[in-house]
Amino acid sequence: MVGVSSMASASAPKCNSHTSENEPVKSTSQDGVNCDLNETVPRLPGETLITDKEVIYICPFNGPIKGRVYITNYRLYLRSLETDSTLIFDVPLGVISRIEKMGGATSRGENSYGLDITCKDMRNLRFALKQEGHSRRDMFEILTRYAFPLAHSLPLFAFLNEEKFNVDGWMVYNPVEEYRRQGLPNHQWRITFINKCYELCETYPALLVVPYRASDDDLRRVAAFRSRNRIPVLSWIHPENKMVIVRCSQPLVGMSGKRNKDDEKYLDVIRETNRQLSKLTIYDARPSVNAVANKATGGGYESDDAYHNAELFFLDIHNIHVMRESLKKVKDIVYPNVEESHWLSSLESTHWLEHIKLVLTGAIQVADKVSSGKSSVLVHCSDGWDRTAQLTSLAMLMLDSFYRSIEGFEILVQKEWISFGHKFASRIGHGDKNHADADRSPIFLQFVDCVWQMSKQFPTAFEFNERFLITILDHLYSCRFGTFLLNCESAREKQKVTERTVSLWSLINSNKEKFKNPFYTKEINRVLYPVASMRHLELWVNYYIRWNPRIKQQQPNAVEQRYMELLALRDDYIKRLEELQLANSSKVSSASTSPSSPSQMMPHVQTHF
Amino acid sequence: MEFSELIRTGRAQAELLRGPEAPPLRGTLCVTSHHLLLSPGTEASPDLWLLLLRSVDSIEKRVAGDSGTITLRCKDLRVLQLDIEGVEATLDIARSIEALSSLESVITSFPFFYRPKGLRLGDAWHFHPPERYYQRVARETNAWRLSEVNEDFSLCPSYPRALIVPHSVDDQALARSAGFRQGGRFPVLSYHHARNGTALLRSSQPLTGPQKRRCAEDEELLRAVLVGARPGARGFIIDTRSAQAAKQARMTGGGTEAKAAYPGWKRLHRPLERGRPLQESFVRLVEACGDLEQSMDRWLSRLEGCRWLAHVKEALSTACLAAQGMEREGACILVHGAEGTDSTLLVTSLAQLILDPLSRTMDGFQELVEREWIQAGHPFQLRCAHSAFSHARPKHEAPTFLLFLDCVWQLGRQFPLSLEFGEGLLLALFEHAYASPFGSFLCNSEKERGLCEVRTRTHSLWSGLNQPKEQRKLRNPLYALNPLAIWPSVEPQSLRLWQGLFLRWTRPPEPSETAWEKVWQIVTDSEKTEGSA
Repeated sequence: MVGVSSMASASAPKCNSHTSENEPVKSTSQDGVNCDLNETVPRLPGETLITDKEVIYICPFNGPIKGRVYITNYRLYLRSLETDSTLIFDVPLGVISRIEKMGGATSRGENSYGLDITCKDMRNLRFALKQEGHSRRDMFEILTRYAFPLAHSLPLFAFLNEEKFNVDGWMVYNPVEEYRRQGLPNHQWRITFINKCYELCETYPALLVVPYRASDDDLRRVAAFRSRNRIPVLSWIHPENKMVIVRCSQPLVGMSGKRNKDDEKYLDVIRETNRQLSKLTIYDARPSVNAVANKATGGGYESDDAYHNAELFFLDIHNIHVMRESLKKVKDIVYPNVEESHWLSSLESTHWLEHIKLVLTGAIQVADKVSSGKSSVLVHCSDGWDRTAQLTSLAMLMLDSFYRSIEGFEILVQKEWISFGHKFASRIGHGDKNHADADRSPIFLQFVDCVWQMSKQFPTAFEFNERFLITILDHLYSCRFGTFLLNCESAREKQKVTERTVSLWSLINSNKEKFKNPFYTKEINRVLYPVASMRHLELWVNYYIRWNPRIKQQQPNAVEQRYMELLALRDDYIKRLEELQLANSSKVSSASTSPSSPSQMMPHVQTHF
Repeated sequence: MEFSELIRTGRAQAELLRGPEAPPLRGTLCVTSHHLLLSPGTEASPDLWLLLLRSVDSIEKRVAGDSGTITLRCKDLRVLQLDIEGVEATLDIARSIEALSSLESVITSFPFFYRPKGLRLGDAWHFHPPERYYQRVARETNAWRLSEVNEDFSLCPSYPRALIVPHSVDDQALARSAGFRQGGRFPVLSYHHARNGTALLRSSQPLTGPQKRRCAEDEELLRAVLVGARPGARGFIIDTRSAQAAKQARMTGGGTEAKAAYPGWKRLHRPLERGRPLQESFVRLVEACGDLEQSMDRWLSRLEGCRWLAHVKEALSTACLAAQGMEREGACILVHGAEGTDSTLLVTSLAQLILDPLSRTMDGFQELVEREWIQAGHPFQLRCAHSAFSHARPKHEAPTFLLFLDCVWQLGRQFPLSLEFGEGLLLALFEHAYASPFGSFLCNSEKERGLCEVRTRTHSLWSGLNQPKEQRKLRNPLYALNPLAIWPSVEPQSLRLWQGLFLRWTRPPEPSETAWEKVWQIVTDSEKTEGSA
């Protein structure tokens, strides 16, 4: 029987589009897309075509396909030249982490001479080229130049992008407003501008929230005792019990077990912002052995003898190197071919889900301590910009339903990750050709994975859908927006990122419907505790294995369309109900007590929508 | 027989623990002929807690001091704990439950006593006779006829009275073919694919034996199938055993179709797990899911070690093979293993779901279960006598039907809009197949159901499920008719553990139920406003 061996995948299109984000094509066409003869290569305003070339794309799923590749200063675009294949793919150059030449001038064998491109988003691209006429050298050089502009003193594309949106994403996060939303400043906590010129701490934001009773001089003295001056500052305060989440870096205890009276006093001041509290809980994200080992390089953790009124727990989350290797192993078992015979044990041996579990478990502990009113919490790891950001932001997502809306989530990312100096540039390596840099690590991806796990377990709790999360991850690498560029706020200010680039939130917020979860039910005070057991965690197949046409979830378009219909129905319903309510309120006195009357339905509806 | 002889004590004071989510219940415990009752006895919570004794899979008792504890593990995988005052009472109640839950007599079982309000006996029993499916086939083609050759079940005790067979084959030839097939299960039509006129058939193995016997009428029957489909049509015989096992079966009188004897038909072997190994896989999986103590670092390899998901994959891919043979190759398909009552039905019913949009509707799916499982003679009474907790040595138990439900759940997960029913219906079918107040899953065949007068003396599950109040739990609010075949992805990355079933009692069910309720709300609210506008 022909095709029997592949029958299970028979439904998948011969070649699925590798396009990660189609929208810009549309948005630019309104501004007038530039066309090359009959070929339309999508182009953003500010994007210019550098070169195009005939190549053979070696598709890992369907074999070699003849095509034409177009390289612009933003993307690598491939169009199939074969009639029976509709393959098109569109890869932002920012996604490329490594370009290698395969085969030499004397290589024999079909398609053995060409380029092998490793991407940051779980795929590789392979092109075979003709051996004569330096065709590969040109393409290699152009790709290298534009994929790694930093090595060539060229700007990242985000600084050339001239896209216009009707919403300005840079306005989404305003720290003063966000703290005001949390009820700050209050009697116990004040806003300080001590870091206005980033002199206290280079990697912290300009605006910080600290205990009212700590003076700016106190802060300076504490900074001397915290790694990279990242002093404990407030991330979130519980609206009722006033317990807080405070973040910082490790104390500089060192081998000799140094102490610092100011730091000890400062932590006590934090504890005393809640008068009835006898202990402050410190969550050190690291495994205890790592925390101890850090003493050798001057770091360490808060000892019992020095901090009488604090209780310290280790959360056993591994460091950036372990996470990087773990994700590498995931890629090994999903790309290009998925591991079939021992899938689950192979997945287990990557330890990826186990790391996810530990991060989620840690965040749950933080959230539970705070929400139960048992204690305020201080979170740190070594530098306080990787695991600490994961823990505080996930705990805040569990505690505060505001962050589960689209804009709330943007604010959460903007605040806990971007403004507090998660080193995006170092972790992702935007425009940097040094693919093996030890600073690279998928810490932010791991956070988004945790958010996805939560959204699976609470299908009605989040305003955004899976596409929202995947879009964020795509633009984490793309360099089309300024949102994730550079390592900290001070560097961004120096480069005038907000003036010179577009924010990712502009794209998303001007097209919100696409990113909405139709089942979203706004609930104000609900704390979400996901089940962080291995039984309930799943590999995010739609992200990690999305390039494999055989694994693709079926009919994604139909599902999405149905969801959109539902959203429309819901909006329509709400509108009609409001009309009914208006009509009803005009005859208020006659409000009946029958259970089906609209006036009785309203409160019910309001809590649900 | 008097039930009262088996009830050693009437009542006792007890506390019931129902897992981590539900609050404990205190009250008077009472054993009746078919139920375990707990009445809280307070004005505040007058609700009676009720458990069908038939759904108890295993029972464990422990006594300490002047009280005892009974742990009931149910066939729907629930684990209940009863703390009972008094040692004597504990032992008596345990013995009573043990005796009453393991009664084998069909006609004294609860369905024969169950008389719910609002339902009339015999209401839904005529929903799905073989004649009804034949009417559909007859509208599509005249290549098939309805034969009543098995009217008195003498030809094949496990087939229903009426069967759909090639038009050109007479009853006498059918009788000969039946003599050549194990248990008399000669090839019959399972599904006619109207789009291209191909047919899906099922049977049991041919009795070729060590002498490689042949049967002219059986060969003629299969030839007629090809001729009826289209001149020059080809066929594939999907044997659900390995080539090796099929060959070995010859030693015990069975075997498989010889190539030369069936021109136009080609044999393919797709071994599917069955019987004891399948039951053991189920038991291991339930054990793993219930083991909350175990360190979870090894969960994934333990899950893999249970092999359950591998069985899901094999079943789905074999069904895809059959469906693809029809849809893409234009071939007729005959499926059989040995008896033709287990893995055979798994493949034919799943292939229909893949191909036939009608079988994905609420009515169509119920018809499919009735026609391809109940009437086709899947021995439910033997296969579902015990679930995963029983300490008794398994005899004929095998979770073939559960495997089918799991595969359907996977289809529903991959095609969230294409099935009119939801997880709720699949869970209900699982529960009722193992223990039910309704009669649908009683006995092993139509013949036995006739002898026990199941159809006249018990209520049909379908009439129970099709009551309006049940619909919201069972239907898929997102359903939109999909006229195409639905080809599932069977890569291990695409298959999931059915948490809603296997982790049902250990996880908080609330979020997914809220979501379900939410979708319903949107859909019905919008319909309401449509209506009022």
